[in-house]
Amino acid sequence: MNAFEVAATALLLGFIPLGIVAVRSRPIDGLVALEAAGVLTMLILLCFAEGFHRSFEYGIAVVAAVLSWASGLLFARFLGRWL
Amino acid sequence: MVVDVLLGFGVSLELLCCLGVLVMRTTYDRLHYVAAGTTVPAFLILAAVLVREHVSSGGMDAIAAVGLAFLLNPVLVIATARVARRIDGYEAPDS
Repeated sequence: MNAFEVAATALLLGFIPLGIVAVRSRPIDGLVALEAAGVLTMLILLCFAEGFHRSFEYGIAVVAAVLSWASGLLFARFLGRWL
Repeated sequence: MVVDVLLGFGVSLELLCCLGVLVMRTTYDRLHYVAAGTTVPAFLILAAVLVREHVSSGGMDAIAAVGLAFLLNPVLVIATARVARRIDGYEAPDS
């Protein structure tokens, strides 16, 4: 394993505290955890793309960055309307 | 060596932000840590990628991904904070 693969694997541990918050806290706190998970996913994809030397995987990180932002806004809108 | 140091600091700070989301009590405190996750740690990891990739196609994609997260995330944080205030009863809901 190279440094980027180790970094990506270590970053995966960040999902544990976020999952705990999403399960145990209020829905709005779950949304906050989801937003943090989106950023974390983007960084993990970047590290794996560099670690595996696959340049096309960088595109997945860009798509993840945009879509996680859009999904966060969508959930925020729904929570604001119906909670 | 430089890559290892940059990745070490970047990963540590990002995990610290995730722990902050867990430890903090209020939604607003948690949002601080979400916002911090797209600043220094993300740029440290981007720097590590750029040390290896330079300004190639992959490097440009990495700049785009981190740049988009850095520029767009404040909008999301503010929107979430406004919804949290609304849920807590500080603002009237949208019509």
